[in-house]
Amino acid sequence: MNILTIALRNARKKWVRTCLLLLVFTLGVVSIVALSFVSRVVGEGLEKKLVSYGANILVSPKNEKLTVSYGGFAMGDMLFDVAYLDEKDTVAKIDSIALRKNVSVIAPKLVVMDRVKNTAVAIVGVRFEQEKLLKGYWMVEQGALPSKPGGALIGSAAAAKLGLKLGDTLPLGKEKLVVEGILAPTGNEDDNVLLADLSFVQKASGRAGQSNFVEVAALCSGCPIDDIVTQIGSALPNVEIKTLRNIVEQRMYSVQFVKKLILSVSLVILLTGCSMVGISMLSAVNERKKEIGILRSLGFSRRAVFSIFCAEAASIGLFAGLIGYAVGYAVSFRILAVLDMAEGAVLHFEPLDFVATALILALLTSLASLFPAWKAASIEPSEALVTL
Amino acid sequence: MSNTTPTTSAPILSAVNITKSFSQDGEPTQALKGVSFDVAPSEFVSIVGRSGSGKSTLLSVLSTLLRPDGGTLSYQGSDLAAASEAEIDTLRHGDFAVIFQFHYLLPYLTALENTLLPFMRGLRPVSGEQRRRALDCLERVGLAEKAHRLPGQLSGGEQQRVAIARALVKQARILFADEPTGSLDSTTGSSVMDLLGRLPGEGLSVVMVTHNDQYASLASRVVHMDDGLVV
Repeated sequence: MNILTIALRNARKKWVRTCLLLLVFTLGVVSIVALSFVSRVVGEGLEKKLVSYGANILVSPKNEKLTVSYGGFAMGDMLFDVAYLDEKDTVAKIDSIALRKNVSVIAPKLVVMDRVKNTAVAIVGVRFEQEKLLKGYWMVEQGALPSKPGGALIGSAAAAKLGLKLGDTLPLGKEKLVVEGILAPTGNEDDNVLLADLSFVQKASGRAGQSNFVEVAALCSGCPIDDIVTQIGSALPNVEIKTLRNIVEQRMYSVQFVKKLILSVSLVILLTGCSMVGISMLSAVNERKKEIGILRSLGFSRRAVFSIFCAEAASIGLFAGLIGYAVGYAVSFRILAVLDMAEGAVLHFEPLDFVATALILALLTSLASLFPAWKAASIEPSEALVTL
Repeated sequence: MSNTTPTTSAPILSAVNITKSFSQDGEPTQALKGVSFDVAPSEFVSIVGRSGSGKSTLLSVLSTLLRPDGGTLSYQGSDLAAASEAEIDTLRHGDFAVIFQFHYLLPYLTALENTLLPFMRGLRPVSGEQRRRALDCLERVGLAEKAHRLPGQLSGGEQQRVAIARALVKQARILFADEPTGSLDSTTGSSVMDLLGRLPGEGLSVVMVTHNDQYASLASRVVHMDDGLVV
């Protein structure tokens, strides 16, 4: 038994008020914790979805380029001294930047031209495992993604124009490609090209270990894209780096928007809860004036009376934090299930967060009760007890 | 037994020319108009007077619950007007004990816990020795068997006796009692008075304010007050 007994026993005695406060505050904490968990999963999901829309950084060799147009007739770009990147070196250097954790996909590519059935066509060498991550929107309409080095995946328009079907063979230099899959229309350049394993294309075209460019997909909810570009630029000083800023900014905005929304809602809930604790404690001070008077007449200092009220409020915050975090964690699964996002979602119960939430809530409720506690400590015993 | 003159032994508490005013409906009212009053060790003093005569105000000033406007209040030779708030708190916690017409027990603590209340000022838990002392005090007031009951489960007289046990547990030097039997029936009031009457024999000074002449006559000295003055 000590001074805390007084605070806790009073909270128990006034159990309806305590339960009501605990309920309101716990609901607030549940909302905050659940929203936080859900926003994290939604944010991660959003990032994954956004990444599936493609790359946002393009790494290519520095080329001398001339756009040719004469008499209103455009002849396209002319490249002089076409340069290539060393695939392994480029990928390794991008892979080693400090912000590597924000880079989700590194996809090198080599583009070669050849003729199939007397039609010029671009054959793009890719790493299919990286390409799948980069182009989550790909749907293989017929067959499957190539599993062998000599397998080819044909864009829908190219397959129609060239009359290609599964199992057809195509020449590529001295090698032959076998059609293993045909893509559903994507609405972009992939519809018009043939895609094959990068190593196979490099070997067949006599450009072993080389690539034309590397596409990089960055997750930038927690970092500015400029930092990633700067770090890649430092690692690869002689290359050209382009950012598809709009996409990146859109990604960052979407994730940040969700987080800001959660933060705003959380603040409103916390403020409401704190106001309720403050008002309730203030009315408790008026109700318990005689009790305060008797404590003061027994030699309790102002600081001791102040502590009793703060401890009572802190105990509500502490329990609300503990219960709220646990319930919020459980509720997150239900919310994710309702949002149809539970599959694959990983939520970790963090003991440190659990304790920190309880302590922060205890601190907040104590702060909310500062004025009532100060008012209680200001009460003179004569004011409360003496009838003159 | 009753008289209005102080005992001859050196006073433990001394009030000289105490004045105290209040504002009532915007008008200043002088409750104490220069009261001088001494309490000797182990003395039982009753203060009597009609309503509004200033006796409760005097008791509040003597017990440090009210600060006087003027005059000198000294305890064992120390001037209490110059004492800091911490020193006053220490005095209230140790040497001074107050009981009121209403018991003012904390409703959510048992009789034993209410008795132990003076020891619950800090984070240090109540010791076994303090607990034993509280049980002894409850036994002295005849409530040892009801130590674990809440105030709501006790009668008015029992509640007042718990308040007396709470005052006794501190081993105070002076007990101030403001109409301690005011809310009790005559039988219960008599038992409370029996208890208070025994305390001076145990070394405790008692200063009691009462309307009841019969109870006042139990004191070794009776002080009459009228219109803010000792008469």
